[in-house]
Amino acid sequence: MNKGKIVSIHSFRGGTGKSNTTANLAAQVAMTGKRVGVVDTDIQSPGIHVLFGLDETKMGKTMNDFLHGKATIREIGFSIGEHSSGGEGRAKLAGKNLWLFPSSIRGREISQILKEGIDFNLLNEGLQKTITEFDLDYLFIDTHPGLNEETLLSIATSDILIIILRPDNQDLQGTSVTVDIARSLDVPNLLLMVNKALPKYDFVELKKEIEDKFNAPVTGILPLSFDLADNASNDLFSLRFPDHDWSKALRGVAKAVLAVE
Amino acid sequence: MKSDVLNQLQKTAIFKNVSDDILAEVAIKASTRKLVKDEVLIRKGEKGDSLFLIHDGWVKIVTVDSKGDELIINKCGPGETIGEMALLDGETRSATVIALTEAEVLELKQDVFEEILKQRSDVPLAIIRSYSERLRFSTTYIEKAIDWSQKTAEGDYSFVEQIQPLVEGAGSNDDKAAQLLSAFFAMVRRVKEREDGLKQQLEKLTFEIDQARRKQEFDEITSTEFYANLKEQAKALRQKRAQG
Ligand SMILES: Nc1ncnc2c1ncn2[C@@H]1O[C@H](COP(=O)(O)OP(=O)(O)OP(=O)(O)O)[C@@H](O)[C@H]1O
Ligand SMILES: [Mg+2]
Repeated sequence: MNKGKIVSIHSFRGGTGKSNTTANLAAQVAMTGKRVGVVDTDIQSPGIHVLFGLDETKMGKTMNDFLHGKATIREIGFSIGEHSSGGEGRAKLAGKNLWLFPSSIRGREISQILKEGIDFNLLNEGLQKTITEFDLDYLFIDTHPGLNEETLLSIATSDILIIILRPDNQDLQGTSVTVDIARSLDVPNLLLMVNKALPKYDFVELKKEIEDKFNAPVTGILPLSFDLADNASNDLFSLRFPDHDWSKALRGVAKAVLAVE
Repeated sequence: MKSDVLNQLQKTAIFKNVSDDILAEVAIKASTRKLVKDEVLIRKGEKGDSLFLIHDGWVKIVTVDSKGDELIINKCGPGETIGEMALLDGETRSATVIALTEAEVLELKQDVFEEILKQRSDVPLAIIRSYSERLRFSTTYIEKAIDWSQKTAEGDYSFVEQIQPLVEGAGSNDDKAAQLLSAFFAMVRRVKEREDGLKQQLEKLTFEIDQARRKQEFDEITSTEFYANLKEQAKALRQKRAQG
């Protein structure tokens, strides 16, 4: 009965910080002792593995292999707790229950799957299996931006959807459509998060304005930060610099996720 | 224990140039006093006639602010000396000293000290020398502080970045001067931060959502067969999960 929750992280446009947010949220939740998985469903342009210090040489079986019937979910799960390497922040994950289910970064495998299309039932089955086989409390899904089919699927299956937006008109417009879609698909928990907010804005006002527009809670406003841009791919920023404003706001989002019943 | 006392005396500013054999004599003539927590060691306004060396425990030096509230100026612990000026000028105490914890202090009385001064004519000179060194040092700092205060008043904070590393790197043989400087720099930095914060008035963002476009895009996505299927599947999935 007490099954793991699927948390999808989505944004209308690319580059809003989905992968960074997903990796750091997963890490923060794993730090509290929960069993956590991270799936990269951004099959077109995978990226989250980098944040966990994984490269082509270390990467074993991928979600692509699963979708081609060439690997089981068991084989794909890469234990971050056992291989937390390279970076002061990542090192804190040693011994934690955190697994990454990466997508292939080989060009040929990417174009192959895009050409053939994804079997949605299979992907869905894969997501459910990560939870049952690894006995997960939370499964975080990093998605491809926009509303393509595999992203719609991850929205449809999620218990919690976190929509990340930048505070500008274009993102708000796009987000409004995603919010409507999420409601149409009966996503039970819709959370908003603002990233790359310029510090010159009044964050309190901003939160209020966005919440009023979408009638959904803004769980965090994360500032635009050069420190993050500088360090992001070398380490897990919120573990490496826990006192940074970005990290503090991110922990607020993690708390909101943990608070969902 | 007496050798500890000797050590401590050597580090006390006024004794800096006084020879060890004399300090040993001073050490012998000092008497031990035990304080319970909250006991008053020195009362502001009393005539000062002794110096105290803290051997063990902590004391606070307090004064009263304009509202009548106790204001802690400083805390002193093992190895620190209080009231050394009293040995020379016998003026009234400028602040109150209260034990923060149980404490043990050594007291050197002015008359005992004066006995020693009378016996050894080289001692006064050594003390004068220590004091003039200290005075020169303090004067330099005061001059600098005046200069920096003027700059701060004019809104020129550039000296903080240029000078602070030098000051911190150089170290100082006068704790109080070093404390003053570090407090001074902290103050200037805070003032600067506050000023920057005020300059940067927070802006408010306003957004407009084009509702017609929103609906049109929503309709485009949801009108496909794929979407209809997905919605069905999602519904079934959620029902299944709700049942456990
Ligand atoms: N708050 C921030 N301040 C500054 N830079 C940020 C911030 N958040 C993310 N970035 C940077 O923006 C870039 C995109 O971040 P990230 O890869 O997490 O976004 P994404 O949404 O996953 O992108 P994509 O859509 O391409 O998958 C990265 O270089 C990252 O370091
Ligand atoms: Mg990404």
